[in-house]
Amino acid sequence: MLRSRLLWATLIILALASTLPLWLSAYILGVLTTAYYFGVFAMSWDLLFGFAGEVNFGPTFLIGLGAYTAALIDNLLGWPIPLCVAAAAVVAVVGGLLLALPALRLHGPYFGLVTLVAVLLLQDVIVIFAHFTGGEIGMTVPDVLSISAGTNYWIALVFLTVSGAALFFYSRSPLGLILQAAGQDPTEAASLGFNVAKHKLAAFSVSAFFSGIAGAMLIFYLGSASVDVVVDLAIAVQIIIAAVLGGRRTILGSVIGGVFLIAAGQVLLPLGQLSTFVVSAVALLVILFFPDGLLGHALRRGEQE
Amino acid sequence: MEAVQILVDGFAISALYALGAVGFTLLFGVSGVLNLAHGGTLVVSAMIAWLVATDLHLGTLAGAPAGILAGMVFAFATYFAVVRPIQRSRAIPREETEIFILTGTLLWGIMCQTVLAYCFTTNPVTVPALIGGVVPIFGVRTPRNEILIALACWAVIGALWLLINRTRTGKTLLAASINPRGLTLLGFELSRIHLLVWAIYGLLAGVAGVLLATFLGASSDAVGPLTASAFSIVVLGGLGSVGGSLVAAYVVGYLETITAYLVAPTLRAIPALVILILVIYVLPQGLFGRR
Amino acid sequence: MSEARLEVAGLTKRFGGLVAVRDIGFSIAAGEILGLIGPNGSGKSTVMKLIMGIERPNTGSVRLDGAEIAGWPTHRIARAGIGIVFQHSRPLHRQTVLDHIKLALLPDSLLRLAADPAVEGKARTIAARVGLEAVLGRHPGTLAFADLRRLELAKAIAREPSVVLVDEPFAGLTPSEVAGFSELIRSFRDEGKAVLLVDHNVKSVAAMVDRVFAMYLGERIAEGTADSVMRDEKVRRVYLGGSIETAARIRTNGEQARPLLAVEGVSVLYGKAQALDNVSIEVREREFVSVVGLNGAGKTTLFNAISGLVPYRGTIRFAGRTLGTISAASIARAGIVQCPETRELFGAMTVEENLELGGAHLSNAARTEQLAWLLDLFPILAERARQQAATLSGGEQQMLAIARALMMRPRLLILDEPTLGLAPVILEQLSKALARLHTTTEITVLLGEQNVTFALPHADRIYVLEHARIVWEGEPARFAAEAGAQYL
Repeated sequence: MLRSRLLWATLIILALASTLPLWLSAYILGVLTTAYYFGVFAMSWDLLFGFAGEVNFGPTFLIGLGAYTAALIDNLLGWPIPLCVAAAAVVAVVGGLLLALPALRLHGPYFGLVTLVAVLLLQDVIVIFAHFTGGEIGMTVPDVLSISAGTNYWIALVFLTVSGAALFFYSRSPLGLILQAAGQDPTEAASLGFNVAKHKLAAFSVSAFFSGIAGAMLIFYLGSASVDVVVDLAIAVQIIIAAVLGGRRTILGSVIGGVFLIAAGQVLLPLGQLSTFVVSAVALLVILFFPDGLLGHALRRGEQE
Repeated sequence: MEAVQILVDGFAISALYALGAVGFTLLFGVSGVLNLAHGGTLVVSAMIAWLVATDLHLGTLAGAPAGILAGMVFAFATYFAVVRPIQRSRAIPREETEIFILTGTLLWGIMCQTVLAYCFTTNPVTVPALIGGVVPIFGVRTPRNEILIALACWAVIGALWLLINRTRTGKTLLAASINPRGLTLLGFELSRIHLLVWAIYGLLAGVAGVLLATFLGASSDAVGPLTASAFSIVVLGGLGSVGGSLVAAYVVGYLETITAYLVAPTLRAIPALVILILVIYVLPQGLFGRR
Repeated sequence: MSEARLEVAGLTKRFGGLVAVRDIGFSIAAGEILGLIGPNGSGKSTVMKLIMGIERPNTGSVRLDGAEIAGWPTHRIARAGIGIVFQHSRPLHRQTVLDHIKLALLPDSLLRLAADPAVEGKARTIAARVGLEAVLGRHPGTLAFADLRRLELAKAIAREPSVVLVDEPFAGLTPSEVAGFSELIRSFRDEGKAVLLVDHNVKSVAAMVDRVFAMYLGERIAEGTADSVMRDEKVRRVYLGGSIETAARIRTNGEQARPLLAVEGVSVLYGKAQALDNVSIEVREREFVSVVGLNGAGKTTLFNAISGLVPYRGTIRFAGRTLGTISAASIARAGIVQCPETRELFGAMTVEENLELGGAHLSNAARTEQLAWLLDLFPILAERARQQAATLSGGEQQMLAIARALMMRPRLLILDEPTLGLAPVILEQLSKALARLHTTTEITVLLGEQNVTFALPHADRIYVLEHARIVWEGEPARFAAEAGAQYL
């Protein structure tokens, strides 16, 4: 019952969302476009955390790999955008597997640290090879998705819908069930006959796939790639907050959290520095008082029946 | 001679890292908390020290204690506003408490950073050294302040060692890090022990922050990197091992100094990160870790 | 004669210096139920984990239908045909009962995005077999305890394994639920499965098993029918500490004194399991009271309730004052000091440091005096004063734990299973020390023990705790006559 209520709610919201370019300004559309890509970042994170049970403190490692791969290939080899994005996906998945290997041996804070360090290393590498990557200033890309705000918005919305659907159905499929078991109780999952390592690697690959593509598409939207936007630890933290705010393990909640964060950040821009403060403070309060997040809280009521 | 300069500078920097890391690891060992707002404690202490010493013209002798006190206050604030509520929350399942504390303290650190940037701008501040002048060491002109910093750090670490190994309070802390339930059975209130650890942590980080201000300066931008470096050192040395943190601090400090001098200053952080990844892959519990 | 489905031989497992399992071998045929019995620390759970691949044996072999599976990863062993029911239920909190059983039926494939339609039907059949049809759509958080256990059984047999391992099949169940589960397990046997039941004591599974394999301290001590094992000398010594005799009791005028500790109608729930059911006991000043019961009966839960370590319903009064909600540390400071089964020593600290911490709340003079007295009571601790606690032998650690508790000058000393895993020589020393304690001090002692021979000699009164309830109360002399025979 709840599932179909959720489905209807999602369809209605999607329908509404697709009409927005008809009556919102280019500026707000731009904010939403970024928010949608951010939503994919957060959903990919939630798949890994909520299902595989792995806390990834550096989701921007995968995003950054995807983004910079696409940017570099576009600049150096001039491939068309779809091929750049495809390449980004491949590199990101390789990166995801690299991260997954220590995950199989380390737990808790140790694994988290590896992910953190991965981001710092990526950032350092980008800065060292500033010659190619533009270092801290960043680099521009010759191709962009579109010049029209409306078109960009729809591309982002479609991408969000497709990714969201894929991730959501993965999470709700038998595979998702196995992954949840693997994440919550690996011994029990193994006793039921599931190769936990195999499923976790798969989860990392899927998360990396979507993160990498989203990262690549974001920079083709913005027209530039820089560490501040796709690699910085501050962005990583925001992604985690978005997923937790929306509700861990809901996948769809991450979109709500992501949109909220980006929108709130924009709304509070006049406050300058303090906008970050307000958003972080709100996130902290949510963590303390509604740890299940917005969607998580709503769904949990349904489970008590 | 460059070698001597590396030796001396490396020693001082490592001592500073060691002091910061020891507090961080003590907090984890006794209370089980990984405080990702650690950088905030250091920078708050530094900034308040600067405020009193320079901005209010009261001199370093007044600024230093003010900074240390500020560090302790911030540490307690972190405990009461973030860590304790999460630990006591019934809405958060036990297995996830650690993750929530990590995320919560991370957020708290960011909040601290933005407030500091708002109040003090992102420009670095320095506190005038307590002792000026230079002293030649094997032909290298070394600021007296640097020597003072190294000595001060080791004095504090030494005092901590004495506390833990020679006083009853210290033994209680040691016991808490080994077996908290055992202490409860012996009539010790764990809540009071937690308060004590946070106080000691605040003190250690406060001193480290103030010394940092006199040596390299501090700015709100340093909050994140300082936390990251302390976290890396502590994991390298072994979470919960004070001795391990000391060794690791020196490994990281020297690696950074050598890299800065012989390769390039911008790459100073890299070798340490690479070593860290290698070590935790081979020895997940760190060089001297227990768990 | 049926073929052996599961054959274990020469199984050994070491954890660091500790040999948890030494040279264990047995076989279970199709259509047979084997009971693997042993007290805590006997290694029976480790044997189960070794069979299931959760731990790797150092040496030895495990054969399933003739194929060697020792060293295989757990998931492969599960797919080869072994199902396991763990002691503690491990549900996924966000999935329904039906989802759980469906999960157990899924293949380990990365490509199946949609489930085989037949899976749903099969899951329902299995649910009906174990008695879960009524709760298929519910989540674990809302299920009764027995249903959670049924869910574990359902998961274990979903893929029709040839061998089923069940850890503590009846713990926490009411007698009628036990009957239902016994039926179910017997039906597994009747289908031709080989069943291994792991439990603390023979009595609870005696009615169901075809054979029993008894373990103690990692080794086999007896094997045979349930009856023969229950009568075996070695087994009785392990569980009862020998034949039940009451040594000459030191008479105190404890009978007339007021109750120091009054436990009234206390019940404790662990999740859904009833760990204590309306228990009432009384301990008077200077009395030595023993609570006798097998592992899992509820002794530790009772002591933890008294010490304020677990929440409970009911009233506990100490020296006239209701304990209610004060902290566990306050209760310890008020005079109730517990020496738990796990001892909780500070392993990395020395014997002397452990003792000093025990006396931390005393004045310097009092502490020195107490320390001297205890080192006299336990001379071996004086010898080992500078040694790290973790390096002491089991018996020495137990003495240290008791001495440390005594440093607090308790009015009531609670001892939980002090004899667990100790050699008879050490038991004698411990017994003598307790006797001295009883005669030379004002202390009141509450002892929880499985080993009746140890628990009887000094006791003024005995309570018998079985399945969370007090089933007998009285003096040691009557115990031998009345309760002793049914004990094992």
